[in-house]
Amino acid sequence: MEKLRTTPFHERTSALCQPQNWRKWAGYFAAGSYEHTLDREYWAIRNSAALIDVSPLIKYVIKGKDAAALLHRVTTRDIHKMKVGQVAYTGWCDEEGKLIDDGTVTRLEESTFRLTAAEPNLRWLTMNAVGMDVKITEVTDDVAALSFQGPNTRKVLNIVAEKPVDELKYFRMMKNKINGVEVTISRTGYTGDLGYEIWMDAKDALPIWDKLMEVGSDYGIAPVGILAMDMARVEAGLFMLDVDYTSASHAWIEPQKSSPFELGLDWTVALDKPGYFVGRRALEREKREGSTWKMMGLEVDWVGMENIFKQVGLPPQIPGMAVRGSLPIFVGNVQVGYASTSTWSPVLKKYIALAHLQKPYFEIGMDVRMEITVEHHRQHAPAKVVKLPFYEPEWKKK
Amino acid sequence: MTKIYDCIIIGAGHNGLVAAAYLARQGKKVLVLERRAIVGGSVVTESFGENFQADSIYAGGTLRPDIIKDLGLDTSEKNTRSTRPPFISLQADGNHLILDAESIKRISEKDAARWPEFVRFMNKAAYILDAAYATIMPRLSTLPRLPMNFGIREGYGLLELGLELRLAGRKDMLNFIRALPMTAQELAEEYFESEIVKAAIASVAIHGSTLGTMSAGTGYTLIHNWLNRGGLANINVGKAGEITQTLANAVKSFGGEIRTEAEVANIKVENQIAKGVVLANGEEISANQILSSADPKHTLLKLVGAQDLPPEFIWHTQSIKMRGSVAKVHLQTNGEHGIPAGTVVLAPSIKYLERAYDAAKYGEISEKPYLEVTTSGNVVSIHFQFAPYQLKTGDWRLDGKKVEKFAIVALSEYFPNLQSLISNSHVITPLDLETTYGLAEGDLNHGQLMLDQFLFMRPIPGWSNHKTPIDNLYLCGSGVHGGGGVSGAAGRNVVKVLK
Repeated sequence: MEKLRTTPFHERTSALCQPQNWRKWAGYFAAGSYEHTLDREYWAIRNSAALIDVSPLIKYVIKGKDAAALLHRVTTRDIHKMKVGQVAYTGWCDEEGKLIDDGTVTRLEESTFRLTAAEPNLRWLTMNAVGMDVKITEVTDDVAALSFQGPNTRKVLNIVAEKPVDELKYFRMMKNKINGVEVTISRTGYTGDLGYEIWMDAKDALPIWDKLMEVGSDYGIAPVGILAMDMARVEAGLFMLDVDYTSASHAWIEPQKSSPFELGLDWTVALDKPGYFVGRRALEREKREGSTWKMMGLEVDWVGMENIFKQVGLPPQIPGMAVRGSLPIFVGNVQVGYASTSTWSPVLKKYIALAHLQKPYFEIGMDVRMEITVEHHRQHAPAKVVKLPFYEPEWKKK
Repeated sequence: MTKIYDCIIIGAGHNGLVAAAYLARQGKKVLVLERRAIVGGSVVTESFGENFQADSIYAGGTLRPDIIKDLGLDTSEKNTRSTRPPFISLQADGNHLILDAESIKRISEKDAARWPEFVRFMNKAAYILDAAYATIMPRLSTLPRLPMNFGIREGYGLLELGLELRLAGRKDMLNFIRALPMTAQELAEEYFESEIVKAAIASVAIHGSTLGTMSAGTGYTLIHNWLNRGGLANINVGKAGEITQTLANAVKSFGGEIRTEAEVANIKVENQIAKGVVLANGEEISANQILSSADPKHTLLKLVGAQDLPPEFIWHTQSIKMRGSVAKVHLQTNGEHGIPAGTVVLAPSIKYLERAYDAAKYGEISEKPYLEVTTSGNVVSIHFQFAPYQLKTGDWRLDGKKVEKFAIVALSEYFPNLQSLISNSHVITPLDLETTYGLAEGDLNHGQLMLDQFLFMRPIPGWSNHKTPIDNLYLCGSGVHGGGGVSGAAGRNVVKVLK
């Protein structure tokens, strides 16, 4: 039987994880939450500093003369334009222009890149590297990663790190030191807030965790599990593989697949970049002809919710965490799409969802209805199509 | 880059020249680029010394009759089936067997009685295969749904083929389909009882292929070779070069250009569109369409390069089975070799042939080889199998002599004086086939003729219509459907696909 593995932070995270609500993430134990309710963890992301163990992210180091060429070929971004120290979020597609996975590409050096992925992609990368001078190494176990998210994180890092991070711009990376140990710090995250990701050698993990927790205590630091992060990422309009889309590499049927355009990743598809990249033809066609689906935001009308619940004598009831379940979306009696993740947004005080809508129902301002269950009965709550992200604080990119 | 051509054809082999001739005849501005100093590819007659001239690789051959007619090629008094040279199986007693109804009688009355029916079926089967080879295969995709460009137009070809096959007769059609995956042994056994006859027929099935007489799919290769030759024996022996010279003259007469010693180093591709070629000397030539008669692996992986091709496509292209195992030995003699004219085979039994093939499986040269011998005056040309390109031990830069020795030893059993008559020899190893003649891995057919590499799976599944993922780049060599051996079908067919 497959055994779940533990991350380099497990000694700390397991001591702190009170509910023992471990989640499976890419073959590793990941703390769902550290407390029995998510409030404090969620608000740490939005108001102070959240420390999240993201070591299960699958990581590759791609090195060699053709490293840039390989990533240029595989992903939809113009990798040749990236400067050393730049990070790019990107998806990658099959030849039919359907998304296989998504992650970040970091140009660590001129010919050295780090690629993160939700799922193993070594085979795909290798098979795309035919005739190239490039070495692809999976470093998931060798590199530990902490996502450090929230408005206070910069202050904490300025104390902890050898070099200040004030100048580190959004989606840039710097080499730095914590406890005298070399780390790379990128201004990235999965929360849509000010935040950083700290990448370190697995053997250095624990002292760095301890240092951050120690210094962070004055700044409201909290260890945060993936359930609170899940709420934050929906607010930020960020989707997740296997929840909000199915990888083209293991979809059973064509309709399960999604293109980057359908998921709102238009800005990551550099159709003007030179040379071949996987899926180019299909993506050009889709760009020309328009997409039939689009992922949009959905805001459920609270007064509408109250009216529905009032019929059974209750105030609106919604789950206290993000729900990773498909909910049908209707216009009239016709289903026009589905919500893949829905959540209560504490910061917005709104019930929101990531919604996949068919043409022409994905226009902003469209009135739709989302299925909810009220006392075991299916009901349709009125909702409005809105643009993503739902929440974007001005300090995110500043 | 002053001149822009309508079409550049890479390689002046017979398929490249056929395509060029058709296109030039249409009024297209055509340029054929040939790496070697002479045209012809593997359909070529060369001199290996004074008074030492032979068909280098294919012993003679002929183009499909419609090509000869379409292009108005001069074929007076040649190729007529009534004057076919004999096909002869060597016998230890010196009483060599000619494969025809009359001669077989002395071996087996029964076999002689069956002979006409066998020939009738083979001709019918070849006719059906010819029809299939004249049909552009639709792009039956490996995807779960039809490719977007699968149109009615592609369907028509199949419909026509279906009709054609229907007219071929239900029983023959069924027997044809049944014969394809059979082994040559089984197919021969359905008709004949005597080992000599069965083995002689089976030898034609494995000719040019890395397959044994007991390999599945040699029913197909037998029909394939029968189609190209018009029977068992080679025709126009010693005149292979004339075929391609005639074609080259036709290209020129239609206004096409041919440049020799003009090796294409790569195909210029911009955004998945072929724009031209770059020669080994750095010269760039632009064209609206590029046709490559080089093998698919060389064309796609070397001339285009994997970086410009979709991943699945590359995997398939890399997986094309080449694995050549043919060598040629040309012997210059004083002319008194005593080998009868025609196509002479050393194929004493089915098992002998299978054992010859066994060596290839293990990367060894057959010490007791299958030989097909043709003579052209004083020159004895030996087609040698099996000499695998990938040797377990050894090096083809040195092992050519081994092949020569094995061939001469084997033939000397039947022609004891042979050795003493030889004044000069020229061996073409599988490595020579690759380096001199551009046949990757020494595969005469640009990809083995196997059941998983034919029809809509040739050169690779989903790409059987001469097209490639690179717009304006087409394949027209032996490696595509219709190709393999001397026929010109691939070169003829590609023209139907071009807009």
